Amino acid sequence: MSNALPPTGTKDPLIAAPSAPRARRSRRGTSLFAHGEPMIWFTGGSLVLALLMIIGLLGWVLAQGMGTFWPERVPQLELLGGERLMGELGDVERYTPEASMLDALSPELRARADLELAALDGQLERVLLRSGNFDISNTHYRWVDRYAIAHASRELDDSEAGRQWELDPARFRMEASASDTDWSLVVERLSWGRLYAKPVAFQVAGQALSDDPAEAWEQFEAHHSEARERWQQRRDLETHDIGDVNHALEEARLAARAAQMDLDAALAASAGAPRLTKLRAANEAAQASLLDTEELGEQRFAELQSQIRELDEQNARQTLLVQTADGTLVDLQLADVVRAYPANQLGLFGRLGVYASRWREFLFDDPREANSEGGVFPAIFGTVVMTLIMSLLVVPLGVLAALYLREYAKQGPIVSAVRIAVNNLAGVPSIVFGVFGLGFFCYIVGVSIDELFYSAKLPSPTFGTGGLLWASFTLALLTLPVVIVATEEALSAVPNSMREGSYACGATKWQTIQRIVLPRAAPGIMTGMVLAIARGAGEVAPLMLVGAVKLAPDLPIDVNNWSGSLGPIWTGAAHLERSFMHLGFHIYDLGFQSQNSEAAKPMVYTTTLLLIGIVVTLNLLAVGVRSRLRRRFAGTHV
Amino acid sequence: MTTSSETLRSRAGATSPQTKPSSAEGPSGPPAREAPQSVEPQNSRAPSGGLFASVDAKQPFKTVVHEASVHTDSVLEINDFNLWYGESRALWDISMSCARGKVTALIGPSGCGKSTLLRSVNRMNDLIDTVKVGGEMQLNGDAIYGSGVDVIDLRKRIGMVFQKPNPFPMSIFENVVYSLRIDGERDRTVLEEVCEASLRGAGLWEEAKDRLNDSALAMSGGQQQRLCIARAIAAEPEVLLLDEPCSALDPIATGRIEELIDELKGSYSVLIVTHNMQQASRTSDDTAFMYLGRLVEFGPTSEIFVQPRLKETEDYVTGRFG
Repeated sequence: MSNALPPTGTKDPLIAAPSAPRARRSRRGTSLFAHGEPMIWFTGGSLVLALLMIIGLLGWVLAQGMGTFWPERVPQLELLGGERLMGELGDVERYTPEASMLDALSPELRARADLELAALDGQLERVLLRSGNFDISNTHYRWVDRYAIAHASRELDDSEAGRQWELDPARFRMEASASDTDWSLVVERLSWGRLYAKPVAFQVAGQALSDDPAEAWEQFEAHHSEARERWQQRRDLETHDIGDVNHALEEARLAARAAQMDLDAALAASAGAPRLTKLRAANEAAQASLLDTEELGEQRFAELQSQIRELDEQNARQTLLVQTADGTLVDLQLADVVRAYPANQLGLFGRLGVYASRWREFLFDDPREANSEGGVFPAIFGTVVMTLIMSLLVVPLGVLAALYLREYAKQGPIVSAVRIAVNNLAGVPSIVFGVFGLGFFCYIVGVSIDELFYSAKLPSPTFGTGGLLWASFTLALLTLPVVIVATEEALSAVPNSMREGSYACGATKWQTIQRIVLPRAAPGIMTGMVLAIARGAGEVAPLMLVGAVKLAPDLPIDVNNWSGSLGPIWTGAAHLERSFMHLGFHIYDLGFQSQNSEAAKPMVYTTTLLLIGIVVTLNLLAVGVRSRLRRRFAGTHV
Repeated sequence: MTTSSETLRSRAGATSPQTKPSSAEGPSGPPAREAPQSVEPQNSRAPSGGLFASVDAKQPFKTVVHEASVHTDSVLEINDFNLWYGESRALWDISMSCARGKVTALIGPSGCGKSTLLRSVNRMNDLIDTVKVGGEMQLNGDAIYGSGVDVIDLRKRIGMVFQKPNPFPMSIFENVVYSLRIDGERDRTVLEEVCEASLRGAGLWEEAKDRLNDSALAMSGGQQQRLCIARAIAAEPEVLLLDEPCSALDPIATGRIEELIDELKGSYSVLIVTHNMQQASRTSDDTAFMYLGRLVEFGPTSEIFVQPRLKETEDYVTGRFG
């Protein structure tokens, strides 16, 4: 310091040299923090923690979700006491048994349980068996205690339990003749869930064509696809053809009702004679056309019914007789079997084939069995369409609002207040938006629309209830603050020098915004859109109020397939007033509302994986657009 | 000897101060001999010149205008121009004229109002809410300030280049033809002709002709600034305003821009603000020295830099002050 300088002799206290050289201050206890090294660890550690949580979550969902559809081997277990079980094995778990449960055991079981208790410090091990056969056993899953297993077939070794338990094969293994598990079938049915059984015979009209399992399976495979085709045909008749008739009837009924209402209104208002005459004629025509349609409809109904009956009869002829592990015989109609495979004979490619086929069904088919089986296509469709409509609504609105706030409004206390209010809107719980959407969009706007345009259909609501459109509006409202804030940020990041340059060229304010500010801010606006999509696609709570349902029979867009000369022509009619399925709601419904949550659990993971995948895909699309915009508008040093 | 054209009697807050012609001997009136009150720190270096002291004391003040710089053929005429930022006055009774086809330089220490004056010419100061102006300016005889003036139309007649290069986030081609685009010009041949002519005018054609569709933001700083000049001259402005066009550039790029200004001389009338005394002396025909919002001395560059009539100007241009 100033030690090197000669004493100045001045009395100015500010620059007076100290009378004696002061010792250098040593770095004491604070030096660790002064070095800053702990902060590196803190900051780095926080990042690692955050990453671990994210990776852990995604990894867990991925691992669980990807494994759902993998076809496992189907071992057969024989319990002490002779009960036989068959099914796919799941997790192994340790538990502390209740004393009363132990007391109720037979002496033989008790002895084995005690041995295990001693070995495992007072705990017992059990495995979750997906035993299926709900129509016979009234359960999809059951826990099997390790000590209760007398014998098991060799497929047990392929499972987690087999690997953990390292059972003594010599004493434990089932005799091959007693349990020929080679032909154990996993049968996925239209109803009642999975069936685990061995084929006994293939029957046509009650007559067994073969008695050998291999032959029966061969014949099943030969006839299954045609039976499924008949089933498909029957479903098309039921949904499309009968649906068309119903639709035509409904239209005619509505037209007749509307004509009647017009006439009544005119009578009540005592309108002029020429008008009344005209309305009377119209009403009579409508009523006549309704009668015609009804008559035609009856005929068509009868025709379709007979076709369906015929298909039903054909389907009922072909059955596969199977026997479950406990010896019950089940007669399966081929048409009711969605998929069947001999699980223990499949090689890697066979299992991959089943795996792929299940994914295809999951992605492209309608749900079955209270959503716990089948596909989620309607939910995917609903989620994507809703998110897209939401984006189309929220981005223009948010960008325009942000433009006014940032470019036109005079900055002052009022604008600041508006800005704070918008920011706070982002923090409002989403269920509040749902309540608002229901109250405002459905019950005020929707009911008004119904009264104006769909009065013939009342009292059943068209727009006056939850639906895709109102859900999109509600989510648009919910994500509006995100877009406004991001757009404002992007606008304020546009250098003022660019605006000035544009004004100096004689551009008006709007020309400057349109040609300079917006293109330059476009990547930032896209960021806002990405955030809005991510927020909107994952939102569930408000959707439960404004239109997401457990099962929507019709997609919000009708797809009719007209066969033209150039091949099938797809025409669609948007029905945005319809309620829809949503993946987020689907997850909630599967996991917490379904009667059989254990069966639905794998589907929850898979659906979650799918939802994350869709959000990521939508985001990647937006990010791709953004980086293209960046490349277009930004140079090397921007 | 000196003949100052006008003595401007300025009073704070007066929007239209009276002007009265007078003749004065010598560079200025007798300097006020009060103790220098250092209002501004740099003033402490000002030597005997009492002019600055009188400016600081807001006393009456007259601009010294060399007779050679009283132009009959002027493209821009500034008369008694005043400007306030809210309550604080930034320009005091500025009167000067810019000759057609010549380069006029504005010099002076930071905060003296050079840029403010320049930005007043194309009314860029309108963008600031608090700005009020008094007095008038004329562009080729048309009033710049006035009730019936269309600012957009006015700005199309005046080109401007800013301190920092500010190319737009679009291709080089679109940058150059921006002023035509906003007028709705769509004819590709017209646009291409203007683009080539402007880029040639700005000495950028050889470097840019193969990359017209690349982003302008990928160019170097000097190229960007020449692009901004090309953009400004594409509209064929009646006057070109350069606001310290080289302050963000390295010496080589600065040299290029100065050469360019020399080339533009004759076909364009240029008003340039610069901090760089050498630049002013090299490029300009007329030089105006400003101080604290006043125009102190205005004359041909050769006279201002070689034999200024005011001691204060001499001190500034020789680097003894400012």
